[in-house]
Amino acid sequence: MIPEPKELRTEEMLLNMGPQHPSTHGVLRLVVRLAGEEVLDVVPHIGYLHTGFEKTMENRTFHQNLTYTPRMDYLHSFAHDLAYALSVEKLVGAEVPERARVIRVMLNELSRIASHLIFVATGLLDLGAMTPYFYAFRERETILDLFEWVTGQRFHHNYIRIGGLKEDLPEEFPGELKKFLDTFDHRVDDYQGLFVGSPIFEGRARNVGVIPPEVAIAYGLTGGSLRASGVNYDVRKAYPYCGYETYDFEVPLGERGDTWDRMVVRLEEMRQSARIIRQALERLEPGPIRDPNPHFSFPPKELLSSSMEAVIFHFKLATEGFEVPPGEAYVPTESARGELGYYVVADGGSLPFRVKVRTPSFFNLQSLPEAARGHFFQDLVAILASFDPVLGDVDR
Amino acid sequence: MRRDEARAYALEKGLAVREAHDLLHIVLPLDGLKAHMAAFKAMGFNYLADVIGIDYQGYPEETGWEHPERFAVVYELVSLPGYADGDGSRIYPRVYVPEKRPELDTVTDLWPSANFPEREVYDLFGLVFRGHPDLRRILMPEDFEGHPLRKDFPLGETPTLFNEGRYIDPEAFRAGLRGREKGLTGWRGGRRKGERR
Repeated sequence: MIPEPKELRTEEMLLNMGPQHPSTHGVLRLVVRLAGEEVLDVVPHIGYLHTGFEKTMENRTFHQNLTYTPRMDYLHSFAHDLAYALSVEKLVGAEVPERARVIRVMLNELSRIASHLIFVATGLLDLGAMTPYFYAFRERETILDLFEWVTGQRFHHNYIRIGGLKEDLPEEFPGELKKFLDTFDHRVDDYQGLFVGSPIFEGRARNVGVIPPEVAIAYGLTGGSLRASGVNYDVRKAYPYCGYETYDFEVPLGERGDTWDRMVVRLEEMRQSARIIRQALERLEPGPIRDPNPHFSFPPKELLSSSMEAVIFHFKLATEGFEVPPGEAYVPTESARGELGYYVVADGGSLPFRVKVRTPSFFNLQSLPEAARGHFFQDLVAILASFDPVLGDVDR
Repeated sequence: MRRDEARAYALEKGLAVREAHDLLHIVLPLDGLKAHMAAFKAMGFNYLADVIGIDYQGYPEETGWEHPERFAVVYELVSLPGYADGDGSRIYPRVYVPEKRPELDTVTDLWPSANFPEREVYDLFGLVFRGHPDLRRILMPEDFEGHPLRKDFPLGETPTLFNEGRYIDPEAFRAGLRGREKGLTGWRGGRRKGERR
């Protein structure tokens, strides 16, 4: 007969989660130290998607690099194009025409909505809610179709050029976008109705993974996750670019900094993004879409069949790029995940000397252990999803 | 503005200051790095946005940007707007690290967010941060040899081959693009003249 144990005890256990795990949103590996169900510590191991973009970009011309930028954050890829272009434009002193700036803002916000839709869909899927996934993907499909129409690509748009845009919008595009926006707001209401107030969601998300503002700042959190903790920091408001200061929108803030806040803040951000797009649509005036400076701007496509000079310029720009004066530039922007910026060092040639990407997910992931300690293991999945990491953005 | 405060502090301590493209660069000495960074933190720069490693090997000297040592580590400090009394100032202190003794102090105890980026700089450049709590490789595999973002780390590409043994050597091609050598076409990356359309 086995004697009854005098006291109950649990052994600490190391559990490996990932890198191939459906709830890690890519190839993230977490080593979790558990006491029973309780998480004592989490150590994120990253780098499984490291592709060496920064090294590659040092060996490609400034324009060629626009092919690499969207491949980092493949969900909000427009923000990466934009951030890189803004830094290089600062170095060469480009003046982006008004129409190009408005279109940039419009498509950037559209891309942000698509990214947040994924966040809501997969985040709730991790909590066991299957329905929102299909609805959110329906909206996202419409957005991707719009992007395919404008840029030719659904994911990696490559629509931005240094000094402006690749080409103008199709004529019917604003009308179609308006049609999408007309139905979008009440669709967001529908999604909200699907989970906010549901007792399961409240129980799984309320007061789970709380990050106080001082901890969030110490660990470098930005974006919606930081605003959920009540810190009013949005790069679009704090360091406006592309004329964001002239748009009327609000920055939704959370109160407690828990998983619930991080989910709902992004839901509200979608509404604000739609608001910005509506204002941008009203401002859409005909005009040039690129800085006419032939030093770095591609000549208009229609000139290529009539002007020899345009052909030469196009060829030279495409093969050999353009010279960028020596210097270092950084322009912070707001991606769907937080502060995103490219620190570009130029040495006077037509290749960047060094490109450092300040990706938000990389820094946001540092707060995960702080948020997950002391919670149940199944909450770790919800907390991780609420940070909205994109592993391409983390590993670069 | 804290930015002006930081500039005044740097000038008072005799540190080199440079402003370009809206960025305020301050060059810190390697020995007093920790003390100066602590002073910036006390000044109200409560947020460390990034730690950037740069390998200046081969950076042209005639550009007006002098780099006394091979490596530089650039910190991006923000007085975060929206929290406490942050006013949105950004400064970019930097420290030059010699190739022979690539070591510098960590700032993780001042800003815990320096943990990952310092590991990244260690991983990709081989600069050792003294006092870092968990200095391991972060992006590259643990048993990887070398530091890939150093300028002398090979890219591992193959030349494009053509008939009769002709080939394009990628490095020679890019040397032309850098504007310092002749390259394939002889175009030296000069500023193009043309009518503004």
